[in-house]
Amino acid sequence: MKHAAAILTLLLAVAVPAPAEDFSFDAKEFEKKTFEFGGYLEAKQEALNQRPDRSSYALTYPNEASRNWLYRSTGTLELTGKLNLDQVVADLRLRGLYAEDTFVRTIETDKVMEGGVRWSPQQGLSFDAGKRVMRWGKGYAWSPVGFVERAKDPSDPQASREGFVMASMDWTRTFDGPISTVGFTPLIVPVKDKINGDFGKPDHINPAAKLYLLAWDTDVDLMWQGKGSKPQSFGVDFSRNLGTNLEIHGEWARMADVQRSYVDGAGNTFSRTENINSFLAGLRYLTENEVTWIAEYYRNGSGYSSIQLEDYYRFADQATAPGASASLFNKAKNLAQSGYARSNPGRDYLYLRASVSEPFNWLYTTTALTTMVNLNDGSFQITPEISYTGFTNMEIRARAIFLSNQRHTDFGEKTSSQRYEVYARYFF
Amino acid sequence: MRYLIKLLAGLALLAPLAAHALDGKAILEKVDRNLEPESYESYRKLINIEPSGAKKEFIVYTVKKGRDKVVTLFLSPASDKGRSTLRQGDNMWLYIPNVGKPVRITSLQSVTGGVFNNADIMRVDYSEEYNVETIEEQGDLYLLSLKAKTGNVAYDKLKMKVDKKLTLPLEIEAYASSGMLIKTLHFKDVKDFGGGIKRPATIETDSPLYKGYQSIMLYSGLKKRVVPDEVFTQGFMPRIEELRK
Repeated sequence: MKHAAAILTLLLAVAVPAPAEDFSFDAKEFEKKTFEFGGYLEAKQEALNQRPDRSSYALTYPNEASRNWLYRSTGTLELTGKLNLDQVVADLRLRGLYAEDTFVRTIETDKVMEGGVRWSPQQGLSFDAGKRVMRWGKGYAWSPVGFVERAKDPSDPQASREGFVMASMDWTRTFDGPISTVGFTPLIVPVKDKINGDFGKPDHINPAAKLYLLAWDTDVDLMWQGKGSKPQSFGVDFSRNLGTNLEIHGEWARMADVQRSYVDGAGNTFSRTENINSFLAGLRYLTENEVTWIAEYYRNGSGYSSIQLEDYYRFADQATAPGASASLFNKAKNLAQSGYARSNPGRDYLYLRASVSEPFNWLYTTTALTTMVNLNDGSFQITPEISYTGFTNMEIRARAIFLSNQRHTDFGEKTSSQRYEVYARYFF
Repeated sequence: MRYLIKLLAGLALLAPLAAHALDGKAILEKVDRNLEPESYESYRKLINIEPSGAKKEFIVYTVKKGRDKVVTLFLSPASDKGRSTLRQGDNMWLYIPNVGKPVRITSLQSVTGGVFNNADIMRVDYSEEYNVETIEEQGDLYLLSLKAKTGNVAYDKLKMKVDKKLTLPLEIEAYASSGMLIKTLHFKDVKDFGGGIKRPATIETDSPLYKGYQSIMLYSGLKKRVVPDEVFTQGFMPRIEELRK
């Protein structure tokens, strides 16, 4: 009997679950601080399978020997500081970078990515001056209405970007009724001497403005940029949830009197002034099995048709062939810089990304497959990717980019055919 | 006279039934108000626990106004600090400082991973999103069966066990329109937050879709606060920190 009681006690001890861990939480530990400091440290390793037989390789690495593989190591330190006063917030985001590959070593020690002062006399009104990244548009991979920002990299749309020096105001009001929010953001982006030198032509103050409406549960923005360092531009975008798992968005932009460079099949170069219309239509859709789809169609008004691109690639082949004259080489280089060597020089693109959060119940793991297709020539790149955020304050991502290989097509003429990349980022 | 006596007797018999007719809508609205004031601020710790015991914690600051406006700001961990979310009715946005512009998100996604989704983290009043289909009494409990008012609500049906005495939920089962159980929320540790707010300080959730995983939400610093409507706009998302004192 004694044994039975002991066994029963033991079984009960096993059967009864251990008391749940006693969690505690006191908000006082997270009181607001006057000064905040943070940032991240990133180590990145890349291997690129080069295409030394392509003209883009010769134009990017002139006078360098042909190499099949290029290895690049990059260390990045980004520091952020914020001073929180009553109505005034001052902040600074600095970046230091060390990158070394087969051809070049790059060291940046004090790049100001963003920084400035914001004064908010009331919740619906603020004034801001400093270097800012003003991200306009609803597109994920592209934003044709992003008039006052550096273009995002469609291969890595969420990568950190550098701002422009600007002064802006932000005014917001809310209402009852179908138009529930109205926001107005006028700004200036001065270009002079060493300020915003890469924004456009110097000696302009470049006014711009955005009007935001939340109307009938739809985000709508109307954007304008005055003529100055860049041509005058207008734009509109929208975004709306159609259900618990579906969002749609779109953008349209018009740039007036844009100077564009061309080369024809006979190798003659010429330029034209045109009005450019670009637009984008996209959606995000979450399926029942937790796959998030992002699909975007992009009409690049400043892009080239497949025939125009082919003319350029044939011309660049001649200009970079052994024995070609220096003037021909420079002509090709100027054309490349004028638009043919942009990351998306084509006219019509499709972007498709399928990502799965926590596949097979792997918490904090995200896998994704992304493809970008030039719809005019059928060339494409495809990017499998995996990331993990399970270690506190650590993000690890590995991905590969494979490009189609057909000659004289958009993705077939890039400098590399494959790229492998892994990085670890520690936040503090 | 005999008829009058019969009528009065009949009415006397029906009277207890009338007294017991339960008003599910009123009870659900009381549950909402007992859980939180209509407009408030709070701090929450969200804990995701893996089957291995590994944990990941998030600290979020939340401000709600009226029936359907919510903002949250992530205070910790460092990798998520500065992220904010906004909800206006069925509309939800996420702001990530590095990405810099608010992007629309949907209620079934999760900004934290784990069992809690965006609708759980930015929850608005139950009576705002659900109608009471049935209500029953079972001992010390009310059993409420709730049906989503529109197809835009994260869960199609809820089965809610309510403590009769406190008019606070003890357990909520959330179902998809297919009838599949998505998750169960367990409300625990009733605590006096001051200012007349007495509610569960802990919500635990588990899901048959995430076997072995558990997510926990702990409340602190919950108090009534009314802020201007302009706080619940996209333009304010980078500035939510300004609300904290």
